[in-house]
This record gives sequence, structure tokens and C-alpha cells, in this order.
Amino acid sequence: MKRFTFMRLSLWIYLGVFFAYLLGPLVIMSATAFNSPAFPRMTPWECLTFEWFGALFRDERILNGIWNSILVGAGTVVLSVAMGLAGALMLTQIWPKLRATYYTIIIAPILIPGVVLGISTLVFWDRINRMLGLGADSWLSNGLFLTIIGQSTFIASYCMLVLVARLQRYDMALTEAALDLGATHAQAFRKVLLPFMRPAIASAAVLAFLASFENYNTTTFTFGEYPTLTIELAQKVRYGITPAISALAFIIVVLTVIAALANEASLRRKELVAAARQKATVAELESGRLQLPGFFRSNWAAAALVAVACVTVAVAGTAALYSPAQCIADVQEQKRLEAEQRIQELLRQRELRRQEQLDQQGEAVPAPAAPSGSSSGFGGAFAPGNLSGSSEAEPEAEQEPQGNSSGFGNVFDPNALSGGSEGGGAGD
Amino acid sequence: MSAGVGVDLENLWIRFGDFVAVRDANVTINGGDFFSFLGPSGCGKTTILRAVSGFLEPSGGRVLIGGNDMKGIGPNKRPTALIFQNLALFPLMKVWENITFSMEIKGASARERRKRADELLDMIALPGQGGKLPSELSGGQRQRVAIARALCAEPDVLLLDEPLSALDLKLRQHMRTELREIQQRVGITFIYITHDQGEALTMSDNIAVMRAGVIDQIGDGKAIYNDPATAFAASFVGENNVFRGKVKRVMGNEALIQTNRSGDLVARISSANQGRMKEGDAAMMFIRPEAFALAPKGATGTHFVTAKVNHEEFEGNAFNIFMEGDGGKELKVSIPNLGQSFEDHTGQNITLEYETKNAVIVPAGELAAE
Amino acid sequence: MPSFLREFFKRNGTGMGSLMLGLVLFWTVGLIILPQLSMLDFSFRPNLPPPEIGGPRDVYTLENYKYLIYGPEGGSQDYNAVDLRVFFRTLVAAVCVTVFNLILCYPIAYYLAQTKGNHIRIFALMLIIPYWINEILRAFALRIIFGETGVLNNMLVGLGIFDTPFDFIRNDIALYAGLGYAYILLMIFPIYNVIESLDRNQIEAARDMGASWAKIHQRVVIPYAKPGISSGCTMVFMLSAGALAAPQILGGPSSLWFTQLIYQQFNDNSDWPQGAAYAVVLLVTCILLVLAVMRLFKVNMGDIGK
Repeated sequence: MKRFTFMRLSLWIYLGVFFAYLLGPLVIMSATAFNSPAFPRMTPWECLTFEWFGALFRDERILNGIWNSILVGAGTVVLSVAMGLAGALMLTQIWPKLRATYYTIIIAPILIPGVVLGISTLVFWDRINRMLGLGADSWLSNGLFLTIIGQSTFIASYCMLVLVARLQRYDMALTEAALDLGATHAQAFRKVLLPFMRPAIASAAVLAFLASFENYNTTTFTFGEYPTLTIELAQKVRYGITPAISALAFIIVVLTVIAALANEASLRRKELVAAARQKATVAELESGRLQLPGFFRSNWAAAALVAVACVTVAVAGTAALYSPAQCIADVQEQKRLEAEQRIQELLRQRELRRQEQLDQQGEAVPAPAAPSGSSSGFGGAFAPGNLSGSSEAEPEAEQEPQGNSSGFGNVFDPNALSGGSEGGGAGD
Repeated sequence: MSAGVGVDLENLWIRFGDFVAVRDANVTINGGDFFSFLGPSGCGKTTILRAVSGFLEPSGGRVLIGGNDMKGIGPNKRPTALIFQNLALFPLMKVWENITFSMEIKGASARERRKRADELLDMIALPGQGGKLPSELSGGQRQRVAIARALCAEPDVLLLDEPLSALDLKLRQHMRTELREIQQRVGITFIYITHDQGEALTMSDNIAVMRAGVIDQIGDGKAIYNDPATAFAASFVGENNVFRGKVKRVMGNEALIQTNRSGDLVARISSANQGRMKEGDAAMMFIRPEAFALAPKGATGTHFVTAKVNHEEFEGNAFNIFMEGDGGKELKVSIPNLGQSFEDHTGQNITLEYETKNAVIVPAGELAAE
Repeated sequence: MPSFLREFFKRNGTGMGSLMLGLVLFWTVGLIILPQLSMLDFSFRPNLPPPEIGGPRDVYTLENYKYLIYGPEGGSQDYNAVDLRVFFRTLVAAVCVTVFNLILCYPIAYYLAQTKGNHIRIFALMLIIPYWINEILRAFALRIIFGETGVLNNMLVGLGIFDTPFDFIRNDIALYAGLGYAYILLMIFPIYNVIESLDRNQIEAARDMGASWAKIHQRVVIPYAKPGISSGCTMVFMLSAGALAAPQILGGPSSLWFTQLIYQQFNDNSDWPQGAAYAVVLLVTCILLVLAVMRLFKVNMGDIGK
């Protein structure tokens, strides 16, 4: 029994660590969208703000990127689901000797690195373009076309896998039955196979869109004059981080959670309805008086969905009414005061040190590690240039105040520059 | 409708690579007949059905429906409807949509379709069940829906591929009667595939017995049972006791067989082989278990068989006696239970007699596997 | 027309059959095979301005591959030490990330597959949600955490574990965490799929015979899950070796990933043939490595993606 509880405990610890690793970054990133500092950070918390959402929606490049992503995504969904379905159907009836080779070919794009796919697409279509004698502005070298083609190469493989899983449960006799009853091949496909495949096609389409939407490795070689959202984000993240990106991430997280919960809720409902129908008598079914379970009954996903929706509405409502201006002004004022105070302090320390050095020359007393005080490295470590945090830090922390200017973090924080360099100066 | 549309197979060959699934089949199926192909699994009977329905192109020979060559005509253009072994009901369509699928293809309105579905549901005794999904029906109900769906297409020929094999024994026996009734009501040609001789015998006007791609015999149930053309037909349809031997003398329609274990026996040469058997030919003689009667001990002659009893059992309607037989097989005898006293013979030699007309001779050949 | 093609069109109808065949051919030949061959061909050509392509100087050469090994002609070093080091570092790091992911994900895959209940669906949902979110944003989230003034440093220093903020980025810890993070699902999913089909009775039987948990996994579960494990490892290895976003965002300024070199050749140096050659080297090496490991563990290609 003791062993059992120990196993239980370690299991839960493991699960906790695992999901913290998985979800923690998203939670933290989302939270930074509501903090006022211009560099996305959670601690110290300064002011609740919604301005980053505003900044996001004013960013032309982001909006343009979203539009391009949707265009690319739509094209990729159509092309890869079509190719994936054809590929899956072919897999079920290909000549057995060719089957293994064929499977290797259509599964390979999943394993080929994205950059390789991007490059090969670019190189190949460029060559086709030249062979046809078309100019650099032909549709074959169009970024939209190349990106859709490049992404579909491997996204179709994902779609194929999803579709093949469902297709394996399809009874080919159904198509034959339809043909036998007078349907043409196209009618049999449309009326029998397609409805059967519909859930898998929907999954494949969602998967394809998400894969396309988040693709970077392939797109970065092919996007041309159609930078997608991911490309724009990568540019921004590489050359300058703002909480506006966190705001975008937060929106995507919320949309994702809502979509996932909605999907789960509808699945759950379908299960419940099917169970109820199984139990129902003919008379109940006939009269339409079948008592279907309520939407929320034993459906945790539906309840969670409503909860998330309520919270979202509440947050949006707050955002419309709330103004952080006062808070930001307060923080700024405080920062200014703190900075001033620190400058004073530093000047005093410098004075002190000069005196010490003079003493040292005389007595050779070992120098203390560092001057303590509000400008100690502790505060700097928490948030360089922010003293509201450091004032709460333990005063006895004794360590070398170091130059925080090395961290990229404060590079982007204008407030940090003075504090950091001053701190560095003090350490000398 | 009463005349119905006949189906002819002329020199039909079907090959898959090197494998010959059907070898030179020649069958004439009369319009309005209930015709069965009977044979063990893998004998090519389903292949024939697929050739008739148009899913397979014959490698040689012709399929004629109503006298018209079906070459190049796809399954959707043939006047046939097939009932699949697993029924192949469309799982996502309601029962009424399933039944009237062929009308949907032709563009009939939903109202027309519902009306027709209701008529057919009444016919198959499932009134008011049109709104259900196939998965919500029982096995027998699904069976009937499949029949209704096929009939809704108003085919000239209905093809049935072992449709009862998934049902339990009782339901199977019930559905036999029902199928036969439906066939007689609609009056179209039914072509039925089965490995169950009981089904074939009870329902069919005519039966073709198939073995490894070859049609051994065509005839009505009585002819197949009483007058088998080959050793395979004799051993596959019903229970039969085999006596191997050589033709010693041919006497008109009868012959004297020198059997391996039971001496010289006289039997009738089966009609398909009359005039073809001559002295010295290897032959097989078949006698049904119920064709024997107990004879006085030690009686000898050309219609008496003496053997040692291995064991006996009481089956209710009959006493079964199992005796040492030819080629390691047991000789089975069924004595109808008419209330007579019945003593135990285990370990003793007993003598049986039979009437010559109940014993048939065919050329020696392959027997059906147990 | 060959008989299997005739059979194919008979089964699918002329219209549907042509559409299907057309799509499959376009995908396999037009999108998969020809572009790869084209890239291979391109990697053996000199970098020429467009007008000279197809001209007299457009001949096959091994120059681009030589460059990876020996560096620029007349260079000061015997070998292209920088690029080669990046290449091997990428492969080794990708292997490390794969092993790390396997260790991290095997228990959760096993737990999810062998436990029943509503909370498993919630867990599955929690697993999937992060993967609906942009790859760049995932890397960005980790950068927020691992930055010098990030949450992690604040926490560690606050708890007194470190005296000074630790530079996770420069030490590549952020990069490895990010790569591991990016492909968790690709490791869990195949393993989960296989273990789910493992009959629970086998485990109980083993336990009944007194096997320890470690023994059960070693002798029953892992051999059974081998196709899933190899499938997951293959995908994680290939994708992390070929990752570009995570190294660009989470990599330190001095530590390059091989894909970044390819990217530089294409976008900064505009030397497409050179980039293509590097891409070919990456692709071929990865495939050979994966095939070797698959041979070692006796797993088939057909198991991938199941």
C-alpha cells in the first residue's frame, strides 16, 4: 500500500512537471500581454493594461500577415486534402508490389526537413519557370503559389494519414452497392464515400490549416511578396520583442481553447445522443418524443466552454472600460524617483569608495564584496531598471552588482539603460 | 413479369493472373427462377456473381442477361441488383434513404421516395422503421432492408451473395422461407450463392454445384440429391457413404461394382453417366445413411453390406449407427425412429441392405472435404 | 493500356480515376520526386547569374560540396571548421533532444494509453492545445521564460539557487528546451497509439508472475511499443535536425544550427547551389542515420506514421 501511494505520488509529480513544461510557457506568455512594460515579462507586475492589443490591431504588417496566412491556408487545405484523399484511396488499391515503395514516397515529406522542402520547391519551380521562358513575375514564381505548393507537399502526407485511418474502416462493398443500384462512379463517391469520410476530411482540413498557419521552415524560402503571419512574427521576434506578440498569442490560445472545447463538447453530445437512441424504443423514435439529454448534462466540455466564453466576454468588457493610464503614470513617476534616488546613492557610494581606496593604500584592509543597498544586483536581476521590485528584495543580499546590459532583455527597455550602466559602473 | 428475364453464361472463363477462378462455365438460368450456385468457399461462385453483376470482366466467354450480351456494360447499367454478403447498407443513411437510394440517383423527389420506402417497408414487415439507422436494427431486419433496397431498384435479376451467412441458425431458417416467398411474389429471377446445401435445396428451382471453378452439375434439388453427376456432388450435398471400387459389369442402367471392402454390390449408374461407364473403370458408389435398412444377420448378396459397429447414437428422430467403412471413413446408417425397440450393436458385425435404386454409381473422383 | 490500369479505371470510373491518378501523380512526381531531384542537380552547379544559366559555364561541379569540407578556396584553414562543427553539433544536439523527448514522453504516453476515464480526455486536450499554437509563438514563449530577466531566472535567483542570472540562451539550454517542447506531441502520439492496442492482460499477467515495473516495461511494453517508439524518435530527430525557427529565436548569437547556414546561403549570400548542396547533405545524412538506427532496432518504414 505504501509503495502504491509512492507510485501515485511520483506519477502526479511527473504529470505536474510535464504539464507545467507544456502549458507554463503559454500561460506566462499570455500573462505578459497584460503587463505594461514594453518588454514582455511577468515579474515584476506593473500595471494591468490592454494597450498591447490595440498595438497589435494597429500593426499593418501583422494584419497583412494574417490575411496572407488565410489565403495560403485556404489553398493548402484544398490542395492537400484533395491530394491526401487521392493518395489514401490509391494506397488501398495500388498493385501490391508497388505498395511499399509508394507508401515510402508519400510518407517521406513528413520526414524531409522543412527547409529542404522549401528549397527544393523554390529551385524546381524556378527551373520550370525558366524552361517555360516566363519572367520573374509569372504566377509560377509567385510567393502565394510557391508557398501553397511547398506546404502541401508535406501537409498532404499528414492528411493522407488521417484519411487512411478512416478509409481502412470503409467497406468497399458500399461503393459497389451504390454502383450496383445505378449510381455513376462520381455519384457513388459523392453520396457514399464522401459522407463516410466527412469527419476525417474535416479533421484533415483543420490539421492542414493549422499546419499551414504555423509553418515557418518551408515558407521562409517560398513566401516571396506574401509574408505570412508566421514570417512576420519571426521577423519581429528576431529583431525586437513587444508584448503585442504576447497579445496575439493570447488571442490564439483563447481561440484554440474555445475551438477545442467546442469540438469536445459536440463529440460528447453526439455520444450521448447515440447512446440515447440505442436505448430508445421504436415508438419513441417514431413520435420524435425521444427524450434527448440536455446539452450540459454529463458534458464537462460544454460547461467548460461556457465558462471560457464568459471569462472572455468579461475580459473584453473590462478592456473597454479600464484605463491603465493612471497606474502607468504612477509607476513612471515612481521609477523616476527611484532612479534619482539611485543616482544619488551611486554618487555617494563612489565617494565612499574613493575614500576606501585612499584608506586601503594606507591600511590594506580587504575590500567588502560589494556595497549593499537598493542598487544591489538582486534587484537588477529581477528587473534591471526597476526599483519598485528591488526595494522589496532582502537588503542583506551581498553580491557584486553586475552589468545587466549584457542581457538582451534590458536592451529593449529604455528605462534599463541608465540603471544598468550605472549599476555596472558601480561594480567597478 | 411472370416470364422474367433469364441469364445465360456461355463458355465463361475468369482468370486472376495464372489462377483460373471459373473454367468454361455454361449455365442457362430461366427467367423467374430461383437459381442457386452451391459450392464450398473458394470454388468461384462469388466470382460468377460478380461477373453477372458487372464488377468483373470475364476473361473469356459471355454473360447474357435477357439475351443481351453484357460486355462493356458497367454494374450501374445492368438490370441486376446485388445483395452483398455483409449487406453493405449505407451506415450514415436512414433506412428509408437506404431503400430508395436507387431513386435518389435517378433524381426522384423526397416525397416520392418516402412513399415508395413505406410500401417496401410494409412488404418486408418493417412498417414505421424507416427513420432508424441501419446500426439500430437487428440482423434479420437489416437483411430485409437490404432486400428492399435491391428490389427498389426494380431489377430484372436479383443476385444474392450468401446473404444469410451472418445470421444465427433459427433466423436463417426463417429467412429461407421468407426469401422464397418474396421471390414468388415479385416473380423476378433470383441468383443465389451459398455453401449451405440446406438453403440451396429448400429454396431453389435449380442448383448448380461448383467445385474449384468448375460446374459439376446443374439440376433441381431432387436431381442433385438423388442423382448426383460426380463424386463431388454426391459427397458435398447431404451426407453420403462412399464405396470405392471398379466396374465389374455394366447391366443397362445398373452396374456391378467390385468394392474394396464390401464385396460386389449392384447400384444404378447416375443418369449423367449412363452409357459412359465400362468394365474396369474406377468407380464410386454412394448410398445415403437413410437408404439402409437392417437385414437379417449373415445375409449375403449384391445389395447387402456387412461391417463392424464402432458406436451408436440416438438423435431423436433417428438412430445413427457408425460402422467401419471404406478408406478410414466411417459408414453412417440412420434408422428412422418409429418407436421400435433398438438394441445396442457396438462391437458386433451387422448386415445392412439397400434398394438398388437408392445407390448411385459415378466415376471415381474428388470428394468434398468434410 | 496495362491490365492494372484498365482494372483501376474500371473500379473507379474514367472521370474519378483520372482525377485520382492525376492528383497522385502531381503530388508524388511533381511535388516530391522532381523537386528533390532538381535540388540534387542544382547542388552540383556553380552559382551563376541568371543570364549565364544553361551557358558554357553551367557545368557539373563538386565545388559546393568541397566548400563544406575544405572551406573557401585559398582559405587560411585546411578544413571548413566552422561549418563542419555546426553540422556535427546539430546532429548530436538533435540526437540529445530525441533522447530527452523519449524519456520525457514515454511515461505520459503509457499513462494516457493505459488509463481510462474522463480526465484522460482532458489531458489529451491539454496536450494538443499547445500544438495548435504557432511554432514561432511557442519559441517566443520559451524566450520570455529563459531570457536573462525572464521568469525562470527571476525564480532561481529569487530562491537563492543562483547568485546571478544564468544565460540560458547563450548556453543553448533554451534551444534544447524549445526543440524538445516543439516536438513532444510527435513523440507521444505514435507511442500512445501502439501502447493503446496492448492488451492490459499482458501487463497483469507479467505482474502476476512477479515481474517488477521495470521488468514489465523492459520485457513486455517496450518491445511491443517499438514501432511507435521508433516512429516517434524518427520524426523528432528529423524535425529537430531540420528545425529553423527555434534555433533562430532561441539560439545564442554564436551557436548556429545547420539549417541556419542553409538559410544564410540562400537569403544572405544568394548562393542557391551552395544552399542546395548543404540541404542535400542534411537530408542524406539524416536519412542514413535514421535508416541505420531502424536497421539496428529492426523496424520497418511501414511503421512510420502509424
